[in-house]
Amino acid sequence: MIFRIIKKEELEKLFELLASGSRVIGPVETGHDRNSDPIYEFSEVSNFSEIRLDHTMTKLPAKKYFLPYKEDLAAFHMKGRDWDKSVDYHCDSPSVFFGLHACDINAFNRLDKVLLGSSYPMPYYAAKRKNMFIVGVDCVPGPYCFCRSMGADTALQGFDLFVTDLGKTYFIEILSDTAFNFLKRIKTSEPVEADHVRYMDIVSKKNMKFEAHVDTTDLTKILDMEFQSDIWKYWGDKCLACGTCANVCPTCYCYSVEETVSLDLQSAKKTRQLYSCNIIDFAEVSGGHNFRPERQTRLKYRYYHKHRGFVEAYEDSLCVGCGRCGEACLADITVPKVISSVRGGAV
Amino acid sequence: MAAARSFLGVPVYKPRVAFFELSSCEGCQLQLLNNEDTLPDFLSLVEVVNFREAMTGGTDDYEIAFVEGSVTRGDEIERLREVRGKAKTLVALGSCACFGGVNQLKNRFDPDWVKKEVYGDRQVESERAKPLEDIVTVDLRILGCPINKKEVEGIMVNLAIGKEIKTPKYPVCMECKANGNTCLFDLGEPCLGPITRAGCNSCCPNGRAGCWGCRGPAEDGNLAQMTVIMERYGFSKETIIDRLECFGGFSDYASQLRTIKLKNSS
Amino acid sequence: METRLAYTPISGERSHRKTDLAAFESSYKAEITSIHRLTDHENLYRIQIVDQPERERFDFMPGQFLMLELPGIGEAPFSISSSPSRKGDVELCIRKAGSLTNFMAKLERGTYVGIRGPFGAGFPMEKMYGQNVLLIAGGLGLAALRSPISYVQENRNRFNSVDIIYGAKVPSQLLFTYQYDMWRADDIRLSIIVEKAEASWTGKTGLITKALEDIFAISREEFFQDTYAIVCGPPVMFKFVCNMLRQRDVPMQKMFVSLERRMHCGMGKCCRCNVGSTYTCLSGPVFDYWTVMNLKEAI
Repeated sequence: MIFRIIKKEELEKLFELLASGSRVIGPVETGHDRNSDPIYEFSEVSNFSEIRLDHTMTKLPAKKYFLPYKEDLAAFHMKGRDWDKSVDYHCDSPSVFFGLHACDINAFNRLDKVLLGSSYPMPYYAAKRKNMFIVGVDCVPGPYCFCRSMGADTALQGFDLFVTDLGKTYFIEILSDTAFNFLKRIKTSEPVEADHVRYMDIVSKKNMKFEAHVDTTDLTKILDMEFQSDIWKYWGDKCLACGTCANVCPTCYCYSVEETVSLDLQSAKKTRQLYSCNIIDFAEVSGGHNFRPERQTRLKYRYYHKHRGFVEAYEDSLCVGCGRCGEACLADITVPKVISSVRGGAV
Repeated sequence: MAAARSFLGVPVYKPRVAFFELSSCEGCQLQLLNNEDTLPDFLSLVEVVNFREAMTGGTDDYEIAFVEGSVTRGDEIERLREVRGKAKTLVALGSCACFGGVNQLKNRFDPDWVKKEVYGDRQVESERAKPLEDIVTVDLRILGCPINKKEVEGIMVNLAIGKEIKTPKYPVCMECKANGNTCLFDLGEPCLGPITRAGCNSCCPNGRAGCWGCRGPAEDGNLAQMTVIMERYGFSKETIIDRLECFGGFSDYASQLRTIKLKNSS
Repeated sequence: METRLAYTPISGERSHRKTDLAAFESSYKAEITSIHRLTDHENLYRIQIVDQPERERFDFMPGQFLMLELPGIGEAPFSISSSPSRKGDVELCIRKAGSLTNFMAKLERGTYVGIRGPFGAGFPMEKMYGQNVLLIAGGLGLAALRSPISYVQENRNRFNSVDIIYGAKVPSQLLFTYQYDMWRADDIRLSIIVEKAEASWTGKTGLITKALEDIFAISREEFFQDTYAIVCGPPVMFKFVCNMLRQRDVPMQKMFVSLERRMHCGMGKCCRCNVGSTYTCLSGPVFDYWTVMNLKEAI
């Protein structure tokens, strides 16, 4: 990897260069919660000053920009007993993601495995994913963050450049030639030994700040062993089955498909809607049989898919430890607590 | 005369429809007239034969009857039975028709006191507010206070082409998150979104107002846990019950809750 | 030097290759060329891919499924009920059970539908050459079994003894009754059993396990070591049937079942068909019984 040092004011120049030709999406502050803590979300930005590079976890991932909650897969023009079908992947220009944390970049990398790397790659995702310029930014772990446990606390791939705040300067990791070319147009310098020392100091301090942890040792086997465990009922009784965990997850990609006819009956649409495996009819088949009628079996399936099935298929968990699901869950169901209880820990 | 329409070769059914109201604000019917952009297409799907709010005259020769409002008087019971007798399909339109709606709030008070409070010394017949299905069989329920025009348009299309009508089984949270809202609980507001049936496109939370449950319970809604959560966020039992009772969709659970002592209750 | 980010278009060319991006939402347009009423609840639809070269290239294995789409109405998975030799001129046996299938029942000949696929893993018919084959179906399971039955008929001399054991609730629900004599004529032994007899029924009455016991009673011990079984039906049925076969030492890897799950994509994306954490659409719907035993929540 190639590294550079830039002065702080140069980052704004880089932003201007990127923003002059493309839409930029970045973390912005939208208000305060009931504890007076700032609320962050990903939004389209036009000014560098709107971006909060020091943001803690956003409530929602930037998913709406790469895996929209609702997206038309196909449109039909009806012609009596016949019809024409048209398909649009809904991406016609590149987007810049300015200020993604390592967990969210790793979320892309893991989604890529199933949505791009498997058979039947998904063009709707590919169109957006292949037209991204990603500027990563370092972060300080919050109380819900356990990305380190999930091997997602550093991003090794899947971005263009990554920015770490060294105090007076930024340390830049350059991954793509596109990023390299853009950086030629601002002032950069080679890092010196002192910059490396400072960088490593920041990283090691960050590692000590994690409060939440998940023990993933032999987790795939343990989930198999504990498939009949009573602990699932404990969590199932708490679960609201509201789907929030999936909706705030940067890697949840499960969906539903609905077809609708226009009011004039002349056209029809096939629409994909992100779904959640905790919703009652997730595994209901035609005729009404439901393979997972109880909340506990659906919640269990969720853990089973993310922490076992995906690992088996792609040698990586489908959880990046961003902690959003635990933070958003009104019933206080968090991944560290659930996994710990499955491993026999007290609840 | 226009040629008979079809969809995928299946003839389109153009029903004769009528709209009626019992005790209500007639706001749901107003919603139907609200969107002029789509009104012509909407009207091309049905033949409206009786709609007091929108037209003069009208006949009693209809196939589908949309009834708004709750039942609060004896003459309304008779009228509802008459409509049921004439209609092939009876549709309960809006929260009042489905659950009693805001009207049923009075059911928790002494009926004489309510009458006195509202009508003074005038002699008025006003009984407990009941949903339509307490009196007659309801074939289809269109939820919401008011109803969501877009949802009704979809239902009308499905009636016309003969496709099954489905309402979401999941709660409002699904739509609220999709709309990118900050959770009302994070903002210190109570909200019934996690247990209320979706389909409203989370319109209240979109405007930073907590859900009051006008569409009734979602399937598999975890009401007991919702109460625990409301308590944990510091909302009193009265606040919880007020929300649950507002539209009548959760009335059984609300009355059950009245008998349970909660931590925050005074 | 570039001053703006380059846009990479994703090609929308039609493709049916599994690795192509365009394969994802690429469907074949197909015409309903005949509708044959089987019972009060099931119709057999003959559906022909319109484009002839595409139709010829539509290769599938018995047991594979396709996604059938009615624009504006919905899309759902169906087992292919016809012989693989008929390629993209398929037959689907469809029960009126939900939104899509109820609408389907109203369609007339000459209507166009969309089909995607074929998807999933089929029955490994070639492995069964030289072996005895037990084809066991309960209820609508015969729809999925009809393709391997056709395959066996067309390649009858490659298989040793072949039995079809088919159970339904009542005689009026029996599917494909017009084909029974043809199956018998192809040296296939056919045992039919109904749970409840109706007037004029002269055949066997009872559960499918009873019909299977009758087969067991007249079979020698050695028979089972060289036997493959294909079992299609509701989970409770295949569980009992497979347990009986296991007691006769039919190896679990030689028993195949087809699982039914909700599916929206058929391509390992929507996750609706997952059993435990296995995609039914990619690894199944046909699984050998050893795999089923190892899948959490399969039975």
